[in-house]
Amino acid sequence: MRPLDLGYMAELAPVIAGYVPLTLMMAVIAMIAALVLAALLAIVRVLRVPVLDRLVAVFISFFRGTPLLVQLFLFYFGLPQVVPPMTGIDGVTAAIIGLTLHFSAYMAESIRGAILGVDRSQWEAAQSIGMTQGQLLRRIVLPQATRTAAPTLMNYFIDMIKSTSLAFTLGVTEMMGAAQKEAAGSFMYLEAFLVVALIYWAIVETLSVGQRRLEARLGRAVAR
Amino acid sequence: MRSTILATAAALLAMAGTAAADTIRVGMSGGYFPFTFTRADELQGFEVDFLRAVAEETGDEVEFVTMSFSGLIGALEAGRIDTVANQITITPEREARFAFTQPYVYDGAQVVVRQGNETEITGPEDLRGRSVAVNLGSNYEQLLRELPYADEIDIRTYESNIEQDTALGRVDAFVMDRVSTSQVIEQSRLPLVQAGAPFSEIQNALPFRNDEAGQALRDRVDAAITTLKENGTLAEISQRWLGDDVTAPAEGADAAPAE
Repeated sequence: MRPLDLGYMAELAPVIAGYVPLTLMMAVIAMIAALVLAALLAIVRVLRVPVLDRLVAVFISFFRGTPLLVQLFLFYFGLPQVVPPMTGIDGVTAAIIGLTLHFSAYMAESIRGAILGVDRSQWEAAQSIGMTQGQLLRRIVLPQATRTAAPTLMNYFIDMIKSTSLAFTLGVTEMMGAAQKEAAGSFMYLEAFLVVALIYWAIVETLSVGQRRLEARLGRAVAR
Repeated sequence: MRSTILATAAALLAMAGTAAADTIRVGMSGGYFPFTFTRADELQGFEVDFLRAVAEETGDEVEFVTMSFSGLIGALEAGRIDTVANQITITPEREARFAFTQPYVYDGAQVVVRQGNETEITGPEDLRGRSVAVNLGSNYEQLLRELPYADEIDIRTYESNIEQDTALGRVDAFVMDRVSTSQVIEQSRLPLVQAGAPFSEIQNALPFRNDEAGQALRDRVDAAITTLKENGTLAEISQRWLGDDVTAPAEGADAAPAE
């Protein structure tokens, strides 16, 4: 067994770290878009909006029921064969759209759960004083649901950051792609993949610290 | 003055092709040493130098797009890239779908095994009952499946890193082109060794979409390849990366087709 080539890892780390902004950019944009979409999907489901409710159910079922990689390939390589203008969508955009659709399906369900977790009596109380459905969602239900949903949503964000590594299959050189290509030239697979793993881990750990602060802040109103 | 002449020449050349694609988008895996790989974030290798030389001849810009190997053909068909520079072997199936240039690498399929196993596996005949790694969607997968005893071979398709899995002993052998296996064995620290002689002659070329624009670009690139062969540039690139000139048909020596 050969020893770990720490010198090579030290050389490689800044190269791979140079791709951190791209990874974070994809994850952050996709997360924001997915949050908005998921909230809308969840509200449609909770309010049982006619017709839309059925469509949303199919959407969630499809995007939860198929692997992200399959969705990305369908979207990036498959659809352009029948819709030629889609060729204009580049790999980064396609990855962001894919991540958004995929994760919004999961997040919609966890937001729906959080909304249903707000006691029914509060809905009734709000309605009894004449609030419209929009008002009661905005003022009473969503603020409380946000707090309940925060930990699971954060989980999805972490998962999303890691899932950006699939973008390499769409021609985007992100951290994993860069590591793969470096390993192809050096044959030091262990070092290359270890560097990329450590960087992902560091990113997620940093986020976890942020998560604890965020949860403390969201929990202020109900602190005991 | 000189730059004006160059610019004019480039413009004329660009007009010569009907589809004046100023930028040729070249897809490659970035994971195929010594043809395409990165070192310190810089994409390099035989294919990179070759396509840069081609673009210099045609007066186009060249843009390299790296993605996993199995996505390359799909990206070409979807019009996301204009060609694939990844040692694509000409096969009847591929010729039916793509417009190929003339071959720019003449090579053979090579069996590679972990050091110590070369006495047991001395060629493709010994792959019976063995597990053999090939890259997903590569021509070597096809070559193995065409062997008369293909159903006795446990063919494993990989996205990448077949060299590593053979070195680890997870598979008994891998099959790739002779030239790059020599380079891998020489330059990596992996305990690998070539098993026997190459078993099938292969010719590698650049595929383009088989439509009017694709064919026009193919013609333009093909003319550039002819020039690069004549003026020795291609042979020089081959020597630089492969330590050998593999850009012309082998005469006797290595060509041992056993199809």
